Amino acid sequence: MTVMKRVVKPRTRRAKRGLEHRAPKITENTKQCLFFYGTKTSDSVRQCLKNFYSFKKQDGKYLQKKKRYLPFEDILPIEHLSQKYDASLFCTASHTKKRPNNIILGRMYDHHLLDMVELGLENYRALAEFKNEKISAGTKPCMVFCGTQFEDVTEFRKLKNLLIDFFRGVEAQAVRLQGFEHALQFTAIEGKVLFRSYRILLKKSGTRIPRVELEEIGPSLTLSLRRNKFASEDLMKRACRQPKQLKPKKVKNINRDVFGTKLGRVHMTKQDLGKLQTRKMKGLKKETNDKKENSESSNQEASASGPVDVDQ
Amino acid sequence: MDYYEMFRMTRQDMFTHQETTRHYLRIRVGGGFVCRLGTVQVPYDRQKRSQNIDEKSQRKWKLVLNCAISECFISRDEDQCDAYLCSLARDGIQALLTKVWDLPSEQIDNSIYVTLPKPVTKLPREKPVPKGKEITKWEQYAREKGIKRRKKGKKVWDEVLKQFVPRYGYRKILAEKEKNWVKEVPDNADPYEDQFAKAAEIKKENIAKNEYQRLRNIAKHRKLKVPNVGITGNEYASAKDLGLATHYARHATASLGKFQPDLPNEKKVKGLGKKRKHEDTTGDAEVEKKRYMAVLEKIDKPDLNLEGAVHKQIRDENVIMDLERRGGKKYGRRSKMGGRHRTKSDHRAAKLGKGYHKIKAKIKSKAKFGGTGKGGSKGNFGDMRKGAGKGKGAGKGKGGGKAKR
Repeated sequence: MTVMKRVVKPRTRRAKRGLEHRAPKITENTKQCLFFYGTKTSDSVRQCLKNFYSFKKQDGKYLQKKKRYLPFEDILPIEHLSQKYDASLFCTASHTKKRPNNIILGRMYDHHLLDMVELGLENYRALAEFKNEKISAGTKPCMVFCGTQFEDVTEFRKLKNLLIDFFRGVEAQAVRLQGFEHALQFTAIEGKVLFRSYRILLKKSGTRIPRVELEEIGPSLTLSLRRNKFASEDLMKRACRQPKQLKPKKVKNINRDVFGTKLGRVHMTKQDLGKLQTRKMKGLKKETNDKKENSESSNQEASASGPVDVDQ
Repeated sequence: MDYYEMFRMTRQDMFTHQETTRHYLRIRVGGGFVCRLGTVQVPYDRQKRSQNIDEKSQRKWKLVLNCAISECFISRDEDQCDAYLCSLARDGIQALLTKVWDLPSEQIDNSIYVTLPKPVTKLPREKPVPKGKEITKWEQYAREKGIKRRKKGKKVWDEVLKQFVPRYGYRKILAEKEKNWVKEVPDNADPYEDQFAKAAEIKKENIAKNEYQRLRNIAKHRKLKVPNVGITGNEYASAKDLGLATHYARHATASLGKFQPDLPNEKKVKGLGKKRKHEDTTGDAEVEKKRYMAVLEKIDKPDLNLEGAVHKQIRDENVIMDLERRGGKKYGRRSKMGGRHRTKSDHRAAKLGKGYHKIKAKIKSKAKFGGTGKGGSKGNFGDMRKGAGKGKGAGKGKGGGKAKR
């Protein structure tokens, strides 16, 4: 007996909108992030997770319950969570004797694991420890990556990609110039990554461009790279595939000259210049047979005068 | 171990706010002795692709998606402080914002907005690229033939009613009803046939056909196989449905499933195939009578159930013995009396399925007959029983044994 898979049809408009929101789209939603704990956590790692959550409050979900989540052993429950909350980024914190102060950052593609990296937390200073004015939530950060390791070492390169994806926030086309408030700095040194977070102050400078001044606000941590599970080349390629609609359209044939005038070429088929439609000038008209007989006689008279130049 | 170190320091003039960057070179000698050597020009680093060169520090920065990526040489200073990192970050952000300020801008509502360029770093998507809508069978045919969609108006002119009637909906049905208050019976049709019912039937069939075709399109889109005949149930078909399906599959052979072999654990479905046979209502009365009498005979019980009687006797004796032991007291405080089931016999009686009250009734009835329970009861029951001698002896033995317990 053959069985047809059930076509899930939403019964309310709200459900329909919900399904459309979660369906794959050309321009995607902002990536949501899930924050949850493993069975055992330490004070610093818990604070760190909460601080990260405060960065991503608008696009994040904080799960209170501690459950036995071990991403490197079994990713399925986390994939279920990702499906449930429609989140493609996740951040777990745990603390064991073998792996103290452990943070796992990961991302999903189509609710299946894409990338995952385990970081060890050291020298953590919480947001609360910096007693100064903070930034408003949800601002897009400017990121600075210092250190040649981010280009040389493959793991660091992939880590950089993951960090950009994680802390990016909303994808914006236009940004307000006053809106540059937050700056994140990742420094790769001797296999470790130093994370610093600053507030941007724009001061007057002599020129149009303001002078940048930084004030450290946020958590400051040292992350050491532990295990990782990066995506294979073809999976990454598949995940990075962009729809045709988003690709920039090639505009052919139009170019601008030095003065800024828009120029384009018009391509025409070959024309018989003899049959071109021009203004009628009687003198250039081709004579008919009757007239020719008359003119022949007249021509014979006129031929003595010499050749007549006719302008074509 | 000696090694050279390069680092830069930036100072800002208080009045002119001008930055002066000085690059220093220093040597770390063996025991940690540091010697400053003076200013040095920072060399270009190995960064190949660059978009922006910050002239001041001659470091190459890459501006990507709102990040400034600097590949610069970091001094392996053990006591690298946050200040150094801050200065690095400051340079990076300065370079970034310098570039940003040069981007095309527009003013909206008293604030200047800057259009960011398209991102350079390849970031993976969240979900796969959406697939376009699948074309249906009709759409494909229309494309081939070049049939174009014509926009139809909402209302249609109706000649009979002489007004504009909606093409679909409630009012369309009303209009149809008005029009078709009478239906002509065609010449070749059966005069007793209900034409209205026939029309309704045809309409139902059309709807069903349309639905089938729609689902077929969906199935094609999802690449599922749909049979033309037979059952296509839900994903979670009940046992009954599956049984029905197997039954039909079994009987869809030339010999109507007579010679169809069974699967190892196959159970035959109840209530299918063979119809229950009922007896004739007309026919021989004698046969019927016989049948009913046979039933009656089965129900009919013998006069005496010996074992049952014996057990009863034993039980009753036990009750009376308990009562005697208590000194004839039947009622007391419930808690003191040991709960609902007061005596061992009660408990036993409860096990046998008979309640306390029934036993009480028996005791009462026995008491009426007079004398001490034991002797009296025996005497009374004695002649009623068939095998009296045997029963007595057996009863006594059994009763004695039980009572002692």
